[in-house]
Amino acid sequence: MRNPGRKNLAPDCNLLIRKLESIFTLSDGERQALLSLPAQATALKENQDIVREGDSPSRSCVIVSGFACSYKVTGQGKRQIQGFYIAGDIPDLQSLHLRVLDNSVGTITPCRVWFIPHEALRDICDRYPRIGTAFWRKSLIDAAVFREWMTSIGQREAYSRIAHLLCELMVRLRAVGLAEGHSFDLPITQAEFGDALGLSAVHVNRIFQALRADGLIETKSARVNIPDWEKLKQAGDFDPTYLHLEQEQAAA
Amino acid sequence: MTLRLQPVRVATGFEEEGMLVFDNEQRLVAVLTHLSDQYDAASGHWFVEAGFGRLGGKDHPTFADLQTAQTWLARTLAQGR
Repeated sequence: MRNPGRKNLAPDCNLLIRKLESIFTLSDGERQALLSLPAQATALKENQDIVREGDSPSRSCVIVSGFACSYKVTGQGKRQIQGFYIAGDIPDLQSLHLRVLDNSVGTITPCRVWFIPHEALRDICDRYPRIGTAFWRKSLIDAAVFREWMTSIGQREAYSRIAHLLCELMVRLRAVGLAEGHSFDLPITQAEFGDALGLSAVHVNRIFQALRADGLIETKSARVNIPDWEKLKQAGDFDPTYLHLEQEQAAA
Repeated sequence: MTLRLQPVRVATGFEEEGMLVFDNEQRLVAVLTHLSDQYDAASGHWFVEAGFGRLGGKDHPTFADLQTAQTWLARTLAQGR
Protein backbone atom coordinates (compact mmCIF):
# COMPACT_ATOMS: atom_id res chain seq x y z
CA MET A 1 0.00 0.00 0.00
CA ARG A 2 2.16 2.83 -1.29
CA ASN A 3 1.07 6.37 -1.01
CA PRO A 4 2.81 8.62 -3.52
CA GLY A 5 4.80 11.43 -1.97
CA ARG A 6 4.97 9.63 1.30
CA LYS A 7 7.62 7.39 2.67
CA ASN A 8 7.55 5.26 5.70
CA LEU A 9 9.68 5.70 8.76
CA ALA A 10 12.00 2.78 8.11
CA PRO A 11 14.59 4.15 5.69
CA ASP A 12 15.52 7.18 7.69
CA CYS A 13 15.70 6.03 11.22
CA ASN A 14 13.91 4.34 14.00
CA LEU A 15 14.26 7.10 16.49
CA LEU A 16 10.60 7.02 17.40
CA ILE A 17 11.04 3.36 18.25
CA ARG A 18 14.17 4.04 20.21
CA LYS A 19 12.34 6.73 22.12
CA LEU A 20 9.32 4.52 22.82
CA GLU A 21 11.57 1.63 23.80
CA SER A 22 13.32 3.84 26.32
CA ILE A 23 10.00 3.86 28.21
CA PHE A 24 8.19 0.73 26.97
CA THR A 25 9.12 -2.72 25.68
CA LEU A 26 7.86 -3.36 22.16
CA SER A 27 7.42 -6.68 20.37
CA ASP A 28 8.90 -7.33 16.90
CA GLY A 29 5.45 -7.00 15.32
CA GLU A 30 4.81 -3.69 17.02
CA ARG A 31 8.22 -2.42 15.96
CA GLN A 32 7.52 -3.40 12.33
CA ALA A 33 4.10 -1.72 12.44
CA LEU A 34 5.71 1.50 13.67
CA LEU A 35 8.35 1.32 10.96
CA SER A 36 5.66 1.05 8.30
CA LEU A 37 3.81 4.17 9.45
CA PRO A 38 3.36 6.56 6.54
CA ALA A 39 5.24 9.78 7.09
CA GLN A 40 6.07 12.93 5.24
CA ALA A 41 9.60 14.15 5.74
CA THR A 42 10.08 17.89 6.04
CA ALA A 43 13.15 20.01 6.68
CA LEU A 44 12.52 23.12 8.73
CA LYS A 45 14.68 26.15 9.40
CA GLU A 46 15.49 27.42 12.87
CA ASN A 47 12.86 29.41 14.79
CA GLN A 48 10.05 28.20 12.60
CA ASP A 49 6.63 27.17 13.89
CA ILE A 50 5.63 23.56 13.30
CA VAL A 51 2.11 24.00 14.67
CA ARG A 52 0.48 27.01 16.29
CA GLU A 53 -1.91 27.52 19.16
CA GLY A 54 -5.45 27.37 17.79
CA ASP A 55 -4.54 24.96 14.96
CA SER A 56 -6.51 21.75 14.44
CA PRO A 57 -3.90 19.56 12.77
CA SER A 58 -4.66 16.27 11.05
CA ARG A 59 -1.16 14.94 11.70
CA SER A 60 1.44 14.82 14.44
CA CYS A 61 5.15 15.36 14.06
CA VAL A 62 8.13 13.30 15.12
CA ILE A 63 11.38 15.20 15.57
CA VAL A 64 14.08 13.36 13.62
CA SER A 65 16.95 15.76 14.21
CA GLY A 66 17.47 19.15 15.80
CA PHE A 67 15.92 20.84 18.80
CA ALA A 68 12.35 22.13 19.09
CA CYS A 69 10.23 23.55 21.87
CA SER A 70 6.62 23.98 22.82
CA TYR A 71 5.59 27.41 23.98
CA LYS A 72 2.82 29.82 24.70
CA VAL A 73 2.82 33.62 24.43
CA THR A 74 1.04 35.61 27.12
CA GLY A 75 -1.28 38.53 26.45
CA GLN A 76 1.69 40.80 27.28
CA GLY A 77 3.74 39.15 24.56
CA LYS A 78 6.03 37.11 26.80
CA ARG A 79 6.99 33.63 25.74
CA GLN A 80 6.93 30.70 28.13
CA ILE A 81 8.81 27.70 26.75
CA GLN A 82 7.03 24.65 28.14
CA GLY A 83 9.35 21.91 27.01
CA PHE A 84 12.31 21.09 24.80
CA TYR A 85 12.03 18.32 22.21
CA ILE A 86 14.75 16.22 20.64
CA ALA A 87 15.02 13.34 18.20
CA GLY A 88 12.29 10.76 18.71
CA ASP A 89 9.90 13.11 20.51
CA ILE A 90 6.35 13.76 19.31
CA PRO A 91 5.68 17.23 20.72
CA ASP A 92 2.10 17.48 19.45
CA LEU A 93 0.86 13.94 20.00
CA GLN A 94 -2.01 15.40 22.04
CA SER A 95 -3.56 16.75 18.83
CA LEU A 96 -4.50 13.14 18.08
CA HIS A 97 -7.20 13.42 20.74
CA LEU A 98 -7.54 17.15 21.49
CA ARG A 99 -9.18 18.95 18.59
CA VAL A 100 -7.63 22.39 19.09
CA LEU A 101 -3.99 22.95 20.08
CA ASP A 102 -3.60 25.05 23.22
CA ASN A 103 0.10 25.73 22.65
CA SER A 104 2.54 26.10 19.79
CA VAL A 105 5.55 24.03 18.77
CA GLY A 106 8.47 25.60 16.96
CA THR A 107 12.01 24.73 16.00
CA ILE A 108 15.01 26.10 17.88
CA THR A 109 17.62 24.81 15.43
CA PRO A 110 17.06 23.56 11.88
CA CYS A 111 15.06 20.35 12.28
CA ARG A 112 14.09 17.39 10.22
CA VAL A 113 10.61 16.22 11.15
CA TRP A 114 8.25 13.50 10.03
CA PHE A 115 4.55 14.24 9.85
CA ILE A 116 2.41 11.19 10.53
CA PRO A 117 -1.31 11.42 9.66
CA HIS A 118 -3.63 11.03 12.63
CA GLU A 119 -5.57 8.48 10.64
CA ALA A 120 -2.50 6.23 10.51
CA LEU A 121 -1.81 6.74 14.23
CA ARG A 122 -5.41 5.86 15.10
CA ASP A 123 -5.23 2.82 12.89
CA ILE A 124 -2.00 1.52 14.43
CA CYS A 125 -3.44 2.03 17.94
CA ASP A 126 -6.54 0.03 16.94
CA ARG A 127 -4.51 -2.78 15.45
CA TYR A 128 -1.84 -2.82 18.15
CA PRO A 129 -3.41 -1.84 21.47
CA ARG A 130 -0.03 -2.02 23.20
CA ILE A 131 1.22 0.80 20.93
CA GLY A 132 -1.76 2.82 22.16
CA THR A 133 -0.60 1.99 25.67
CA ALA A 134 2.95 3.09 24.81
CA PHE A 135 1.62 6.45 23.56
CA TRP A 136 -0.47 6.75 26.70
CA ARG A 137 2.58 6.03 28.82
CA LYS A 138 4.53 8.63 26.86
CA SER A 139 1.78 11.19 27.50
CA LEU A 140 1.78 10.38 31.21
CA ILE A 141 5.54 10.88 31.30
CA ASP A 142 5.12 14.23 29.52
CA ALA A 143 2.77 15.16 32.36
CA ALA A 144 5.39 14.04 34.90
CA VAL A 145 7.92 16.30 33.16
CA PHE A 146 5.49 19.23 33.37
CA ARG A 147 5.03 18.56 37.10
CA GLU A 148 8.79 18.57 37.57
CA TRP A 149 9.16 21.82 35.61
CA MET A 150 6.41 23.39 37.71
CA THR A 151 8.29 22.42 40.86
CA SER A 152 11.52 23.86 39.47
CA ILE A 153 10.06 27.13 38.24
CA GLY A 154 8.01 27.67 41.37
CA GLN A 155 10.38 26.51 44.08
CA ARG A 156 13.98 25.88 42.99
CA GLU A 157 16.60 28.59 43.11
CA ALA A 158 17.74 29.82 39.72
CA TYR A 159 21.08 28.00 40.04
CA SER A 160 19.40 24.64 40.76
CA ARG A 161 16.77 25.29 38.13
CA ILE A 162 19.40 25.50 35.41
CA ALA A 163 21.42 22.60 36.80
CA HIS A 164 18.23 20.53 36.90
CA LEU A 165 17.34 21.28 33.29
CA LEU A 166 20.89 20.43 32.18
CA CYS A 167 20.56 17.07 33.98
CA GLU A 168 17.20 16.41 32.33
CA LEU A 169 18.50 17.19 28.87
CA MET A 170 21.58 15.03 29.45
CA VAL A 171 19.49 12.00 30.44
CA ARG A 172 16.99 12.48 27.61
CA LEU A 173 19.70 12.98 24.98
CA ARG A 174 21.52 9.93 26.26
CA ALA A 175 18.35 7.82 26.08
CA VAL A 176 18.27 8.37 22.30
CA GLY A 177 22.02 8.05 21.83
CA LEU A 178 22.78 11.75 21.48
CA ALA A 179 25.22 12.04 24.36
CA GLU A 180 28.71 10.60 24.57
CA GLY A 181 29.57 9.92 28.15
CA HIS A 182 28.44 13.11 29.78
CA SER A 183 29.01 15.31 26.72
CA PHE A 184 26.36 16.54 24.37
CA ASP A 185 25.49 19.28 21.89
CA LEU A 186 23.19 21.86 23.39
CA PRO A 187 22.16 24.51 20.87
CA ILE A 188 19.72 26.22 23.25
CA THR A 189 20.46 29.93 23.74
CA GLN A 190 20.59 31.64 27.12
CA ALA A 191 17.47 33.62 26.19
CA GLU A 192 15.66 30.34 25.48
CA PHE A 193 16.79 28.91 28.82
CA GLY A 194 15.41 32.08 30.38
CA ASP A 195 12.06 31.74 28.61
CA ALA A 196 11.86 28.13 29.77
CA LEU A 197 12.78 28.76 33.40
CA GLY A 198 11.26 32.16 34.10
CA LEU A 199 14.65 33.88 34.29
CA SER A 200 16.07 36.85 32.47
CA ALA A 201 18.83 36.21 29.92
CA VAL A 202 21.14 38.21 32.22
CA HIS A 203 20.48 35.86 35.14
CA VAL A 204 20.97 32.82 32.92
CA ASN A 205 24.29 34.25 31.72
CA ARG A 206 25.49 34.76 35.31
CA ILE A 207 24.41 31.29 36.38
CA PHE A 208 26.19 29.62 33.47
CA GLN A 209 29.34 31.50 34.46
CA ALA A 210 28.90 30.34 38.06
CA LEU A 211 28.31 26.72 36.97
CA ARG A 212 31.53 26.88 34.95
CA ALA A 213 33.44 28.50 37.80
CA ASP A 214 32.16 25.82 40.18
CA GLY A 215 33.41 23.09 37.83
CA LEU A 216 29.91 21.70 37.19
CA ILE A 217 29.95 22.23 33.44
CA GLU A 218 32.49 22.83 30.71
CA THR A 219 31.34 24.47 27.51
CA LYS A 220 32.88 24.89 24.10
CA SER A 221 30.53 26.65 21.68
CA ALA A 222 27.38 24.51 21.75
CA ARG A 223 29.09 21.49 23.33
CA VAL A 224 28.50 20.86 27.01
CA ASN A 225 30.52 18.47 29.13
CA ILE A 226 29.59 17.50 32.66
CA PRO A 227 32.82 16.60 34.46
CA ASP A 228 31.14 15.49 37.68
CA TRP A 229 27.66 14.09 37.07
CA GLU A 230 26.91 13.40 40.73
CA LYS A 231 27.80 16.95 41.68
CA LEU A 232 25.58 18.45 38.99
CA LYS A 233 22.69 16.18 40.01
CA GLN A 234 23.12 17.34 43.56
CA ALA A 235 23.25 21.00 42.54
CA GLY A 236 20.10 20.52 40.48
CA ASP A 237 18.25 18.47 43.10
CA PHE A 238 17.80 16.05 40.21
CA ASP A 239 16.19 12.64 40.58
CA PRO A 240 15.52 11.03 37.16
CA THR A 241 12.57 8.98 38.41
CA TYR A 242 10.09 11.38 36.76
CA LEU A 243 11.48 10.51 33.31
CA HIS A 244 10.42 6.87 33.91
CA LEU A 245 13.07 5.38 31.66
CA GLU A 246 12.99 1.61 31.37
CA GLN A 247 16.70 1.12 31.10
CA GLU A 248 19.68 1.90 33.22
CA GLN A 249 20.10 5.17 31.31
CA ALA A 250 18.12 6.81 34.05
CA ALA A 251 21.01 6.31 36.39
CA ALA A 252 23.37 7.65 33.69
CA MET B 1 7.84 61.71 37.74
CA THR B 2 11.38 62.70 38.69
CA LEU B 3 13.63 59.86 39.69
CA ARG B 4 16.74 60.23 41.78
CA LEU B 5 19.73 58.00 41.14
CA GLN B 6 22.36 56.97 43.65
CA PRO B 7 25.45 55.06 42.50
CA VAL B 8 25.96 51.71 44.19
CA ARG B 9 27.97 48.54 43.76
CA VAL B 10 25.79 45.51 43.17
CA ALA B 11 26.87 42.10 44.48
CA THR B 12 26.06 40.16 41.35
CA GLY B 13 29.29 38.20 41.71
CA PHE B 14 30.88 40.12 38.85
CA GLU B 15 31.94 43.46 40.40
CA GLU B 16 29.25 45.44 38.69
CA GLU B 17 28.26 49.01 39.33
CA GLY B 18 24.70 50.16 39.41
CA MET B 19 22.18 52.70 40.61
CA LEU B 20 19.59 52.77 43.33
CA VAL B 21 16.52 54.48 41.90
CA PHE B 22 14.25 56.55 44.18
CA ASP B 23 10.92 58.17 43.33
CA ASN B 24 10.05 61.78 44.25
CA GLU B 25 9.01 60.66 47.72
CA GLN B 26 12.44 59.10 48.27
CA ARG B 27 11.13 55.55 48.13
CA LEU B 28 13.41 52.91 46.62
CA VAL B 29 11.70 51.71 43.44
CA ALA B 30 14.42 49.83 41.57
CA VAL B 31 18.03 48.72 41.40
CA LEU B 32 19.76 49.07 38.04
CA THR B 33 22.94 47.20 37.14
CA HIS B 34 25.39 48.43 34.52
CA LEU B 35 26.22 45.13 32.82
CA SER B 36 29.90 44.26 32.55
CA ASP B 37 31.51 42.88 29.42
CA GLN B 38 30.49 39.22 29.78
CA TYR B 39 27.00 39.46 28.28
CA ASP B 40 27.71 39.64 24.53
CA ALA B 41 25.17 41.97 22.97
CA ALA B 42 23.83 43.18 26.33
CA SER B 43 27.24 44.25 27.73
CA GLY B 44 27.23 47.89 28.74
CA HIS B 45 23.46 47.96 28.95
CA TRP B 46 21.44 48.80 32.05
CA PHE B 47 19.55 45.93 33.60
CA VAL B 48 16.59 46.22 35.95
CA GLU B 49 18.08 43.99 38.65
CA ALA B 50 15.19 44.44 41.06
CA GLY B 51 12.00 46.41 41.14
CA PHE B 52 9.56 47.13 43.92
CA GLY B 53 5.83 47.69 43.97
CA ARG B 54 4.66 48.40 40.44
CA LEU B 55 8.11 47.43 39.19
CA GLY B 56 8.12 44.10 41.03
CA GLY B 57 7.53 40.72 39.46
CA LYS B 58 9.40 38.89 36.84
CA ASP B 59 10.10 41.55 34.26
CA HIS B 60 13.81 42.36 34.05
CA PRO B 61 14.35 44.34 30.87
CA THR B 62 17.68 45.77 29.76
CA PHE B 63 18.19 49.18 28.21
CA ALA B 64 20.97 50.49 25.99
CA ASP B 65 21.52 53.58 28.16
CA LEU B 66 20.61 55.01 31.52
CA GLN B 67 18.25 57.64 30.13
CA THR B 68 16.12 55.05 28.34
CA ALA B 69 16.01 52.97 31.51
CA GLN B 70 14.83 55.96 33.55
CA THR B 71 12.16 56.82 31.00
CA TRP B 72 10.83 53.27 31.14
CA LEU B 73 10.88 53.19 34.94
CA ALA B 74 9.06 56.52 35.19
CA ARG B 75 6.46 55.49 32.64
CA THR B 76 5.85 52.11 34.31
CA LEU B 77 5.50 53.77 37.72
CA ALA B 78 3.08 56.35 36.30
CA GLN B 79 0.91 53.57 34.88
CA GLY B 80 0.51 52.18 38.36
CA ARG B 81 -1.23 55.27 39.71
